[in-house]
Amino acid sequence: MPLLRMENITKVFPGVVANDGVSFDLQAGEVHALVGENGAGKTTLMKILYGLYGPDKGGIFINGQETSISGPRNAIDQGIGMVHQHFMLVPVFSVLDNIILGEERESTPKLLQRLYLDKRSLRARIAELMERNHLETDLDRPVRELPVGVQQRVEILKLLFRGAEVLVFDEPTAVLTPQEIEGLSRTFRELTAQGKGIVFISHKLDEVLQVADRITVIRRGKIIETMPREGATKAKIADLMVGKPVLLKVDNPQAEPKEEVLRVEHLTAADDRGAMVLSDLSLAVHAGEIVGIAGVEGNGQTELIRTIAEREKIISGEVYLKGENITSWDVRERREAGIAHIPEDRHRYGLLLSFSLADNMVLGRHHRPPFVGPIGWRKTKAIREFARSTIAAYDIRTPGETTPAHALSGGNQQKVIIAREMSADPILLLASQPTRGVDIGATEFIYKQIVEAKLQGRAVLLVSADLDEILSLSDRVCVMYKGKIVYEVARDQATKEQIGFYMMGAEHGDDNE
Amino acid sequence: MDVFFEFVVRGLVISSPIAFASLGGVFSEKCGIINIALEGIMLVTTFAIVWGALSTGSFLGGLLFAIIAGVVMAGIHAVVTITFKVDQIVSGVAINLLAVGVGRFLSQNIYGQETQSPFNTFVPPEFLGINIMAWILIPVTALVWFVLFKTKFGLRLRSVGENPEAADTLGINVILMQYSGVLLSGVMCALAATVLFPSQWVTGMTGGRGYIALAAMIFGRWHPVGAVAASLLFGYADTFRVMFERQIPIPAQFVQMLPYVLAVVVLALFVGRAYGPAAVGKPYRKGGE
Repeated sequence: MPLLRMENITKVFPGVVANDGVSFDLQAGEVHALVGENGAGKTTLMKILYGLYGPDKGGIFINGQETSISGPRNAIDQGIGMVHQHFMLVPVFSVLDNIILGEERESTPKLLQRLYLDKRSLRARIAELMERNHLETDLDRPVRELPVGVQQRVEILKLLFRGAEVLVFDEPTAVLTPQEIEGLSRTFRELTAQGKGIVFISHKLDEVLQVADRITVIRRGKIIETMPREGATKAKIADLMVGKPVLLKVDNPQAEPKEEVLRVEHLTAADDRGAMVLSDLSLAVHAGEIVGIAGVEGNGQTELIRTIAEREKIISGEVYLKGENITSWDVRERREAGIAHIPEDRHRYGLLLSFSLADNMVLGRHHRPPFVGPIGWRKTKAIREFARSTIAAYDIRTPGETTPAHALSGGNQQKVIIAREMSADPILLLASQPTRGVDIGATEFIYKQIVEAKLQGRAVLLVSADLDEILSLSDRVCVMYKGKIVYEVARDQATKEQIGFYMMGAEHGDDNE
Repeated sequence: MDVFFEFVVRGLVISSPIAFASLGGVFSEKCGIINIALEGIMLVTTFAIVWGALSTGSFLGGLLFAIIAGVVMAGIHAVVTITFKVDQIVSGVAINLLAVGVGRFLSQNIYGQETQSPFNTFVPPEFLGINIMAWILIPVTALVWFVLFKTKFGLRLRSVGENPEAADTLGINVILMQYSGVLLSGVMCALAATVLFPSQWVTGMTGGRGYIALAAMIFGRWHPVGAVAASLLFGYADTFRVMFERQIPIPAQFVQMLPYVLAVVVLALFVGRAYGPAAVGKPYRKGGE
């Protein structure tokens, strides 16, 4: 009897059938991967399982008993726990407080004892849990000081402490290093050995093939196929996911680097709390090459890009564009000199979400002809024409150029940004996490655009947390760790393992953990 | 009484209403609700305490009225900001404006005069020469600290102010916690009224103490002990003015500015970037959006 069975789940939102007769089951002791593009219905299905939505049709069975789930709390009471993509942790609380939060009640008769938070017995229970599952962490450290991989461990502990039998992981590897991913798959094995069931939601087919016992592909709200891992291949799953064959390998010809476009020298910077984020970093990017910056997020990549794209407060160092010192230039001067920027957080820095696509597409050039007239009024017609032609050229799926940016899917929003930045004919393209949260179809398009930029003789600096992305696009790979470039390697000599070690801060690539 | 002792006890009397109000601010902001209505809530509790004492003939009756008034006024803020998710600053400003009218309206209807109440003799007893409620500040501060940091209730309340979504997925009743925090800030404003001037109500008598209390809360980094310490700093600066302004050869107006200047300077120079509860000021909507 399966641990969990969802039968014929249908969920309709205005205009979209998010789940259309979906059936999904999970056996005790297995890892069942759920794969599909963004918007395929994975998240909806899991939200139904977690009680955030009620299904319009269909039923949920736990150990063969039909049940209904009224919310996250009720889900966990029935043994279903979820590790969200964005952790549900309180950053300023200690690990211990995060684990016991909401679960502190103990039945003692005395009122004062019921009110007082006695952490000793809880601590002992958690220590035992950590040992049994090999999930050791320092219980007294505030969560915000911990690396992402450890924070994830805290999330898992939270669920185990609440007695979860089914654990759902939503894109758990997106933010992890290869070593941390290895640790996570070990944890998966520990948990399944104890008879727990794991639902693993992912885009990353390599990992799916590595950890899953069964794989279910979902597309446009329907289950396309459920298959055992044996016999499944990356190409087959990718085919099923998008419904048409996709090019997973990027066609990326060897670079022919020409003159130097960007050079940064001895950059040193601290954040507003005084911690060093860049320390004596030097780097050069040439026309016609893609330099990829690999690294665990938070090792100064964001600050590096910001220092190049805009006038950031730095302690020392210089930024040169084509030999000219631009360190003290402001954003507009830099953009006009030929720097284009695809920011890592497209919602906050890339788009004005409530503005139309047309307005978003001329941002940065909105103050110049042909988009403004002689005394400063905006030439709406020119703006809209430009937008229409760009929408066509970049295959942006939208009802029209007057649609507000927030109405588009993530992939199409990203295409809008790329269209804007590329149409400015830059000499240097800064691309930060260009495919984050973007489906395979759009990812492929974005990869092509980045390679195209290189072939047109532009210099490209790519920052990504996705190592596969770095390896398939870059001509040179630099690894950032604690504000420094600790390793640099040409594409043909780069290996994932070696880069992973440096991402973790290893001094020599041949050291073991 | 020697001058030093007088400075100490008078300072406590002047500081403690600010300190009680700042504890109210801590309760409210720790659960994620900005409460700039402290000023207005105090304005109403100061009327209620006199009204209650005069109608029941006892100080405890006054305290009861004040607590009810504090809870009702804070309750308006809670309903508006938590249930209806109105901007917390806007609601706070509205309550401050409303409170001025409420005080005058009640006074006119009950005592036939708009700007002041009759004299009230049912005031708290004295201890070491001052209102005993000023001393009560010390155990209350300890109690607030205990509640926030050593009880399950406190852990849940703080989690809601930091990450309500996480708290919700763990089965914590976010709305209930936020109501508790805001209503407790009303109770704290009632305690402030017990020291502020329980012998007679005069319109506008809170004189900006609610705002000073907010500054103290931020200066104290949202920690009850810190907030009270900051309130004492501001209160004693004011006490210094009261006691010594005649002996200082500069115009009294400048000396009177001292606590406010101190508040601005301290906030601007010494606090730097203060990190409050992460989710403060953001209305919580279930399931995002």
